[in-house]
Amino acid sequence: MTTPILVVDDSAMARKMLIKSLPASWDVEITQASNGHEALQAYRAGKAHVMFLDLTMPEMDGYQVLETMQREGLDSFIIVVSADIQPMAQERAKQLGALAFVKKPVSPGIIESVLREYGVQL
Amino acid sequence: MSIAPLSPDQRDSLQEITNIAMGQAGASLATLLNTFVNLSVPRINLLALPDVSGSIRNLVGSDVEVTAVRQSFQGYLMGEAIVIYQQAGCKELASMLGHTDELNQAAETELLLDVANILVGACLGGITEQLKGISKENNSGELRFSAPSVMAVNVPPETLINPEKLSWTHALLVEVNFTLENRNFVSHLVMLMPEKTIEKIRGVLDEFIASF
Repeated sequence: MTTPILVVDDSAMARKMLIKSLPASWDVEITQASNGHEALQAYRAGKAHVMFLDLTMPEMDGYQVLETMQREGLDSFIIVVSADIQPMAQERAKQLGALAFVKKPVSPGIIESVLREYGVQL
Repeated sequence: MSIAPLSPDQRDSLQEITNIAMGQAGASLATLLNTFVNLSVPRINLLALPDVSGSIRNLVGSDVEVTAVRQSFQGYLMGEAIVIYQQAGCKELASMLGHTDELNQAAETELLLDVANILVGACLGGITEQLKGISKENNSGELRFSAPSVMAVNVPPETLINPEKLSWTHALLVEVNFTLENRNFVSHLVMLMPEKTIEKIRGVLDEFIASF
């Protein structure tokens, strides 16, 4: 079954890097968003069974996306992908409902191991 | 000498590379000060030298006085890194590090130098490491830093850079903000690089872009 996934980052290059690091065998339909507003829109349209979410973004950042989703009772498998490597950033993202936290730059194989850890079929 | 503007892809790639390096710098600052550091999206601009002062004023604000520490770098990349503090931030920094009394000038200066050294080292080190990882050629040369020194105390931000003192025509301006949560502290890191370094970075970014 094809999984709709959403890649959220203000940098087009960062989105490309993330998409390149997805497991080749994973059957996905990819939607991209460059800020939090676009992300929520895509989520509401059912395009984000799995969401890869950057934290530092203009307009609406990743924390605000997580807060909004939590407040509205929205549910998605959210993996935060961020250059902010402060332990507190990771803690906050998880408190706000992110399941996993991946540090940028995304190293090869890391996305696959996170997905497997959470039992995603690849 | 004229210089081509950065393409949208080049700018975006450098912004993301800076973002990653900034994350490392922010984490170092957070550890030093034992607090959470808010990071913003870095700004990248390729400017003619006379426009640099205006850009710094836009970043920092026009009705403030700043104290700045400079550190030059050479080797793999060449340029000047400047860490800009607002006056209230200097006092805040001192109190966070346990100085309750009025700091003497020497101790305050040392703090500003230490913080600048950490931010500049982590940020430029992070950028260099990533650029070297992209390009298999032309990645020789270590990054070397001069000792940090105070370049100005309590001056308007637009007076920090005197274009006549630099022999460059253009500068790549990379601007990063560090804000401490619940604290009255903001610092700005500005990196200025001349034409030769701009073209070197551009070459590496093009290799990076072509790899997708």
